[in-house]
Amino acid sequence: MVENYAILPCNGLDKSAGIISRELALKLCENAQNEIICPVFYRVAEAKYNKIANEHPLLVIDGCLTRCASKIAMEKNLKISKKLTITEEAKNHNIELKSNLRLLENENALIEILLNGLNNAEDKVILFSDETKILYKFEYVTFQKDKFIFRLPKNPEIYFNENDCWAYVSGNRARIGVTDFVQQSLSDILYFTPPDIGIKIDQFGEFGEIESSKSVIELISPVSGKVISINETLIQKPELINENPYELGWIAELELTDFESDKELLIGFDEYFEIMKKKAEDKNG
Amino acid sequence: MSETTFMGVERDKIDWKPTIDYTKCDYCMECVKFCPHKVFEVRENEEIKLIVKNPHNCVVFCRACSKTCGPDALSFPDKNATTQKIKEIRKEKENNG
Repeated sequence: MVENYAILPCNGLDKSAGIISRELALKLCENAQNEIICPVFYRVAEAKYNKIANEHPLLVIDGCLTRCASKIAMEKNLKISKKLTITEEAKNHNIELKSNLRLLENENALIEILLNGLNNAEDKVILFSDETKILYKFEYVTFQKDKFIFRLPKNPEIYFNENDCWAYVSGNRARIGVTDFVQQSLSDILYFTPPDIGIKIDQFGEFGEIESSKSVIELISPVSGKVISINETLIQKPELINENPYELGWIAELELTDFESDKELLIGFDEYFEIMKKKAEDKNG
Repeated sequence: MSETTFMGVERDKIDWKPTIDYTKCDYCMECVKFCPHKVFEVRENEEIKLIVKNPHNCVVFCRACSKTCGPDALSFPDKNATTQKIKEIRKEKENNG
């Protein structure tokens, strides 16, 4: 149940998705103990909302992928507890949004669906068995470029793709995550969208998103498999990815489906270390 | 600078780049601001103000610019088909080489 949230919605009045965000936020406030933050007023007079924002978990409703509401939250250093994007939700529910700026049948139907979803959602408790928790500590080789230090674990069971993600393979399972290059490029990671447990991911398919004030990126899986667990700690503490993306900042665990074939397009420590160095040189140089 | 190969395959043999849907694009240029690889080019004085200028600079499998696109105007090729194509090219190279 979404209750006791501070709700920061998009308020874009020239797009259907903005109008829907606003209406959804209003409805969430009518029916439960939630408080709204007006993004327009917040920009110019933050004192009114800082207390609400800091005392309640924050639900951000973005209209579209421009993510204005998320960007305001990040500018103001607010911790986002939950968020959704109207245009993405419309796609997920096969509802076509047109350019009308009044709520019609489609828009109202989407609002109802989202309202029900949010009101019926239990605060997410993700259970996974202890046997999936591989405890480990890696040996690192580091490389420094200006003030940035790039670590890379050296272990024959850790594979990389050229998209800066790693897989630590153990039997028919792999734990996956991003390398230091990703977290250094994004700087402070403020929000983590995990993949759903149980879904199948292809090699190079998406296994979630991470977001900083700079950008949002999708994570590109080095291996194919079924998601059997996610690092639930990251939902509250996405900054662990910055601290160490290989250990406490791991993203998900997969049951591998075709590792022998995946290996064809994976590289080991030596090759990826050179790639990461070159990318770091190009980026900062 | 961008890579010239991806997994040992020459970059220009891999069809991976954004396609702009000009019926949706509103020239907000968020994608241009985001992409560090200079894939896009802004043409201030033209009717079409944004083009995909350097498709081979685009990082294979990266779709990050589309995550910045409010009007959802950017699309990419199918990932599975691209993966298969890369594997085929690598096999050909092995057999020939």
